Amino acid sequence: MFKFALKNMMIKKVKIILIVLSIVISASVAILAYNISQQVDDGLKTTTAKYTMIIGPSGSSTQLAMNTMFFTDKPVGTIPYEVYEDIKNDPDVAVAIPFTMGDSYNSAKIVGTSNEFLNDKTVSDGRMFESSVAFEAVVGYGVAEKYGLKVGDKLVTSHGIGEGGHSHGDSAALNVVGILDKTNTNYDNVIFTPVETVWKTHSHSEDDHSEHEHDHEHGEICAVLVNLSNMGKFTSVQSKYQNADYVNEDGEEISLSAISTSEVMRDILDNVDMSSHIVLILCVIILLMNIFIISIITLLNMYDSKKEIALMRLIGVGMKKINLLYIIQNAIVGFISTVLAFGVSRICLIAMKEYVSSMGIVLNAGAIFSFEWVIMAAVFVISIIPTVICTFSMSRKDGIEE
Amino acid sequence: MINVKNVSKHFKNETAIDYNDITFEDGKAYMLLGASGCGKSTLLNMIAGILSPESGSIEINGEDIIRKSQKEKDLFRIKKIGYIFQDFKLIPEMTVADNINILKLEGVDTSSMDEILDKLSILDKKNKKVKHLSGGEKQRVAIARAIVKKPDIILADEPTGNLNFAIGEAVIKELVQISKGKTLIAVTHDERLSKYFDHTIDMNEVTGGRRDV
Repeated sequence: MFKFALKNMMIKKVKIILIVLSIVISASVAILAYNISQQVDDGLKTTTAKYTMIIGPSGSSTQLAMNTMFFTDKPVGTIPYEVYEDIKNDPDVAVAIPFTMGDSYNSAKIVGTSNEFLNDKTVSDGRMFESSVAFEAVVGYGVAEKYGLKVGDKLVTSHGIGEGGHSHGDSAALNVVGILDKTNTNYDNVIFTPVETVWKTHSHSEDDHSEHEHDHEHGEICAVLVNLSNMGKFTSVQSKYQNADYVNEDGEEISLSAISTSEVMRDILDNVDMSSHIVLILCVIILLMNIFIISIITLLNMYDSKKEIALMRLIGVGMKKINLLYIIQNAIVGFISTVLAFGVSRICLIAMKEYVSSMGIVLNAGAIFSFEWVIMAAVFVISIIPTVICTFSMSRKDGIEE
Repeated sequence: MINVKNVSKHFKNETAIDYNDITFEDGKAYMLLGASGCGKSTLLNMIAGILSPESGSIEINGEDIIRKSQKEKDLFRIKKIGYIFQDFKLIPEMTVADNINILKLEGVDTSSMDEILDKLSILDKKNKKVKHLSGGEKQRVAIARAIVKKPDIILADEPTGNLNFAIGEAVIKELVQISKGKTLIAVTHDERLSKYFDHTIDMNEVTGGRRDV
């Protein structure tokens, strides 16, 4: 039966290919949309839990959070290093990590920080950088893979985020001392180095490029990531630093902003959740369209097969066997389409990885969510149900005397 | 033995055909002659269980085919009857072998396919798609499909209808030869072919044509 079903499909291969294509396109869109929304959602939730507060220059709190936690966008501005020292010495603060960003290696952003920032990360090769040793660098897995970097390599960096900035030259090159393990997070796409590296790099390059406008100044950082020793002190710590005034190296007065990561992320997640719901609704609409398209195709296919069915009936093949034959055929089509749709969605994830990583979203083509199995099962069932209904109604009529 | 008794068949166009009683003996070859619409093909379809008469009985070896359920008729047709259709009823996109192997869906043993195709001189066409065959070759494939299951009864509805006389005659000769020992009932318009059959029945006399209902 199976062999005959395959042979019967082979004689209609063009039609079968078109059916498979139409199912694959609609099903892969549904799978892909759901997968991306879940990965973005999960990525945000995982990253949120690490710090309770971010202190930086006053401005957009979303920009401050996205820049320091997901390495997206540009820093809001700079604050004196003195702010970090004050926070670090605050008895209510358990962890204070300086954060600065403004240089890049090709398209990879360089984050100046302390090695505490990578406490929960491991290296696949080499070691973590020493916070006190300027120009040491640890490279994210994705960056190392993309540029073929290994421990011992020298990285000539450029000023500014993204490509096109002026080179800092060989004298300010970073020494790769470690490669991070793959994390499937934004950390894969970034290079980490001590804060001192950033300052020294600019003292080198400013001699040569004094006319260039810099995003940050010597001895300044972009933000401080904070964990409190006691969450009960959150409000008092926040009010202490919110709108606190400091004077930067140019003698200008700047005001601070102390944001709650959970509050900012809740706002972002609310938007993401809403997007997820929209995606879910879209998935359902796509699946309903699938049902419609597949049903129409199946009905047309069955209509085309009417002559063939009549022929088999005339020579004595029973409707039960004919039903089974067409159900097997459509099950094969459904199975192939489902597997291909899954494959296409993974290929799309790989293809999109590069593009969306610049937006701070790291896609893992290997991530499979349980609802994806539901979508695939639905696609498979949808491709069989119309045949069952169609053949069932045909067997009720029998049609041999028509 | 096939006994057709008091059979009457009504049609959707509000006409009917009444059949006089006829008997077909086992192992004999019968040729049914008659004008179009006199009920030749209808009789074959009723014997095969494809059509059901409104009254009467068609007993095959003592069993009334009319009283059987559709499922039993299907089973009877696939096991006991080899039916050769005028328009071949083959799937053009499939090979000769695949067209015959359709019978495997109902568990029919088609192991004698090569031997039969060889007897019909089309063994070399076994893996050719039916659409690439000539009319005579297609009719031979239809004969092979009917014979391969070793049926007790072979029904042929105008097997030479689409062929010129020379090819038609050759096909009939082969059909009669290959059907030796079985009951063969063939519908044809060409009286010249009657010499190959044991009996010739004029269906105009059996039915008297159609009447209005």
